[in-house]
Amino acid sequence: MIRVENLTKNFGKLQVLKGVTEEIRQKEVVSIIGASGSGKSTFLRCLNMLETPTGGKIYFHNVDLTDKKVDINVHRQKMGMVFQHFNVFPNMSVRENITMAPTLLNKKTAAEAERLSEELLRRIGLWDKRNVRPTKLSGGQKQRLAIVRALAMEPEVMLFDEPTSALDPEMVGEVLVVIKELVETGMTTVIVTHEMGFAREVSDRILFMDDGVIAESGSPDQIFYNPQNERTKDFLSKVL
Amino acid sequence: MIETMFMLFLKYRGLFLEGVKYTLLLAFITVGIGTVIGTLLALCKMCRIKPISFLASVYIEVLRGTPLLLQLYLFYFLVPQILPWEPSKFTCVSTALVLNSSAYVSEIIRAGIQAVDLGQMEAARSLGLSTAQAMRKVVLPQATRNILPALGNEFVTDIKETSLASTFFLGDLMTTYRTINGALYLTLEPLIIVGIIYFILTFSLSKLIAYSEWRMAAND
Repeated sequence: MIRVENLTKNFGKLQVLKGVTEEIRQKEVVSIIGASGSGKSTFLRCLNMLETPTGGKIYFHNVDLTDKKVDINVHRQKMGMVFQHFNVFPNMSVRENITMAPTLLNKKTAAEAERLSEELLRRIGLWDKRNVRPTKLSGGQKQRLAIVRALAMEPEVMLFDEPTSALDPEMVGEVLVVIKELVETGMTTVIVTHEMGFAREVSDRILFMDDGVIAESGSPDQIFYNPQNERTKDFLSKVL
Repeated sequence: MIETMFMLFLKYRGLFLEGVKYTLLLAFITVGIGTVIGTLLALCKMCRIKPISFLASVYIEVLRGTPLLLQLYLFYFLVPQILPWEPSKFTCVSTALVLNSSAYVSEIIRAGIQAVDLGQMEAARSLGLSTAQAMRKVVLPQATRNILPALGNEFVTDIKETSLASTFFLGDLMTTYRTINGALYLTLEPLIIVGIIYFILTFSLSKLIAYSEWRMAAND
């Protein structure tokens, strides 16, 4: 579904991605782990071109997203993204956060979007908050809202960029539950995370990134119980 | 002296009122059109195309870096030479005021937009919105909250700055002073009256702005 070929990204003189080649298949759940500064967030943000790659190709359904002639907005509609800092829209009500994009981009009529927002808000238990501004929500509630906001576009793949890193510990669980339910519906998912237990539980595959490359890739069992790469062993010994 | 002031005010209240009208009209035109031009300027300055952002910067820096009085003189003599028709004094002077204000307003707007968290733009783009759509639906509504109070203060500043228009006898409040001063050879009394009126205008506006800011914060 997403194919990445020899992806590089420089920020000034600093090379953050040093040639990443990878493929995310339909319905696959992939977690990316690794130390801070290893390039995992940059890699994820390149997948929907929020970062413009310095070199390499990104194919989404065989369309090269790095091609300047490609209308990236059309493809982004099929790639939902959830951010570390939620980025819910404070100038809209909770409900409008969900309905704005689908109606503006003509994916749904106003009535359809309303119905969908009700379904989504009931699913995450925020229906009674539908008319308040998201500034009134807790961190966990904001992140759950951010997840269903992305889902309202009915994406084919969901990208999570450290979705629980900015949360108070007692709110991590409620967000992970929503992600887990989503994964169980068969959604293709890529998660950058520090939640090792969660990654092991939900992932089909784990990518361990180190110093701008994917140092090791494999099933959760392989990576967590039988890592081959010295760096992977070293990293896991520190975090597990 | 206070007696004279009362008499003056009563006798010439029509003239003072006329002055207030022109001063407010000038300030309103200045901020109103200045905001439209200033918004475009701010967008130009933030534009990724280098020559456009460079030209916008030059415009802003020059207009903020030279005296308003000089600009008034300049446009007073320049505008009639540029326009194919004979422009009124009012047109020339308000052109200078508008252009000057647009430079300040553009910086207010740029700061207001840049104060919005970058993540807001990213989140909107990640949903598939174009930059323009994200600006319109997400960034600008939030920037407006930062911009409006500063714009109100710009209006207050402009009320005071329009007094320079009296250099060309434009009918603003300061012109009223010059008229009375010229007719009666009275200096202090009309000056104090005009000062009090200016103060009432700016003070009540400032309070109004502070109140609406407080209301906006309370609504959040």
